Amino acid sequence: MKSLIRPLVAVVAVVTLAAGCASKAPSASGGSGAGGKKQFVVGYSQSNNAEPYRAQLNLQLEYFMKQHPDMKLLPIADAHQSSATQVSQVQNFIQQKVDVLIVSPNEPAPLTAAVQQACQAKIPVIILDRSVNTDCYTSFIGGDNYEIGKLAGQEAVKQLPNGGNVVELRGIMSDQPQIDRDKGFRDAVKANPKIKIVADREAKWLKDSAVPIMQQWLSKYPKIDLVYGHNDPMTLGAYLAAKAQHRESQIKFIGIDGLAIPDGGIRAVQLGELTSTFVYPTCAKEAADTAYAIAHGQQVGKKQVLHTTQVTKENAAQLYKQYDMSGKISG
Amino acid sequence: MPDQTATEEETVAAETGGSPPRLRTRMRRLLPVLGSLQGYIGLILVIVLGLATKGEVFWNQTNLTNAVGAFASRGILAVGVTLVILTGGIDLSVGSILGIGSMVSAMMLVHHNMTPWEIVPICMLVGAFFGLCNGVGTTWLRIQSFVMTLAMLSVVRGLDRQYSNNVSVGTQVVNDQGHLTPHSAQFQDLGTPGHNVLTGVLGQGVYYPVLALVVVCVVFQLILSKTRFGRHVYAVGGNATAARLSGVNVTAVTITVFVLSGLLAGFAGPIDAAYSASADPLAGTSYELDAIAAAVIGGTSLAGGRGTIVGTFVGALILTLLDNVLGLNAVSDNWQLVIKGLIVVAAVVLQRPGFFAAALTPVRRLIGSSPREGDEK
Repeated sequence: MKSLIRPLVAVVAVVTLAAGCASKAPSASGGSGAGGKKQFVVGYSQSNNAEPYRAQLNLQLEYFMKQHPDMKLLPIADAHQSSATQVSQVQNFIQQKVDVLIVSPNEPAPLTAAVQQACQAKIPVIILDRSVNTDCYTSFIGGDNYEIGKLAGQEAVKQLPNGGNVVELRGIMSDQPQIDRDKGFRDAVKANPKIKIVADREAKWLKDSAVPIMQQWLSKYPKIDLVYGHNDPMTLGAYLAAKAQHRESQIKFIGIDGLAIPDGGIRAVQLGELTSTFVYPTCAKEAADTAYAIAHGQQVGKKQVLHTTQVTKENAAQLYKQYDMSGKISG
Repeated sequence: MPDQTATEEETVAAETGGSPPRLRTRMRRLLPVLGSLQGYIGLILVIVLGLATKGEVFWNQTNLTNAVGAFASRGILAVGVTLVILTGGIDLSVGSILGIGSMVSAMMLVHHNMTPWEIVPICMLVGAFFGLCNGVGTTWLRIQSFVMTLAMLSVVRGLDRQYSNNVSVGTQVVNDQGHLTPHSAQFQDLGTPGHNVLTGVLGQGVYYPVLALVVVCVVFQLILSKTRFGRHVYAVGGNATAARLSGVNVTAVTITVFVLSGLLAGFAGPIDAAYSASADPLAGTSYELDAIAAAVIGGTSLAGGRGTIVGTFVGALILTLLDNVLGLNAVSDNWQLVIKGLIVVAAVVLQRPGFFAAALTPVRRLIGSSPREGDEK
């Protein structure tokens, strides 16, 4: 009897898993929708769903796509931060002959060939956020990390008119946004030679990693005047560490991302935890509009660089309302 | 297979021939419980390094509490992983289970306004459930524990991300007046930096994650060294077939260690959520590797049957204090990775049984004193 149960359990497990997968498989691949009216199918390959910024981007893209009744967004493909997975996902979308393909490349080089394949298959491609090493795409939409870093640096100069000690929490060192956000900031704070970046370390974009690093800095430096984090979670981790030692009121905190979620940067500015943050545009609305324009044969800009909005205590409430996606999407 | 600890103690007792135990013998008896001597040497080296380079900045209560607190949740994972490794298995899923524990705790706090007294036990049950799945998979389905827990790592992380919709959840819930809700304020005691518990009893109080880590270590060390279950864990890891033939229920022991490992990972979840005042869908990623490193540095053998919880605790201290010392000295992140990897290699080499004896023999010959047979073996 026992020998029967084991295989049975295995079979049940496999069947359940398979059923789970099957129910999530993309349901549509054809081009023409119901009612005879042409429906355009859009495929979107996201580099990693598990980043709050990208989760927000996904929600917004789904919302803005729904605003165009003749556009149909296939289930978003998540590459889990793996370029190899993303290449095969892009190839899948090419096989399905989508009308417009949107890609948020995980890394430039590995995705270049896949984007070229799409281009050869005459599928228009929209590149979001990070670049690829080819011109064979229809439109690039992204923010300018160097510019954001520079604005953050200018804010630091404004906050520290008499100079001071700055510490910098970096994202993953090899990530291009990290490199740009760092460079822009350093270029801008040169304006005041009395501002010194006394320490910088990689906190991998994570709040968890930022806390102990900030604690070490607080032990080491009796005077820290400003924390610059390459994203809001890291800056908030530093705030948490400073608050534990009752030093948060002597320190200014500048972050980047400005997500309109309860745990995000805009709320933190509203609550007075962050001094300021900069909205890194998700590009979702622009992507949806560009996809619509391409599908209807209109001209689109080859390179659309979106500008940031600085979040301050004055405009935080209004910005939160503007970017908040909860309640706008059902299901 | 008879307990190694017992045999060693007996040999020592026989050697001394029943005469009143000398200091050396007493030390010998304590050693198996205290873990390997080399671990302590490593710990002392790290502390000396910290004192020499940073002095007061390193050796003060705030910095040490911060350093141990930062590693506490991983230290608790390491205790569970040590149990599994002692039976000859491995548990790669603890980081993911910690992640889902942290997410569940934040969700229960924010959406259901539950107290930490309700949240922590529920998280432990959630963790224990996934541990049970690991145990059932490795025993009844006869999947190797590496494969089973690797699969679980993925399954649990996926559930975590699905459940949270990939959005982090803050644990600092504010009411209309801008104050923290009472339950949210209580939740901070679970590990938000600067929030101590037992403030009335112990002066300034203690930092809960540190307290939790120490208590978990003490409890599980006692379970391992004082109970029949503990002896069975060593027996299964030493030689599973022999253990079965001598009447140990190997299946039950294996399932139990996985359940305990999951339970501890679930227990560590709320600590991690409180530590960063939010539950991140990626929380706990790669923590299992830190946990395994702590166990290995502490003298636990991946072959099973050898190791102690105290050793793991020392291993965890070495890892986190080293991280602290390197950070205070502004060593670059790249070199920190290199150094930490090399420490693992050094720890494993140094902890080979008889390493010291082999290294000391030439020295003894040189001095001319005759080494007593049976020493350091």
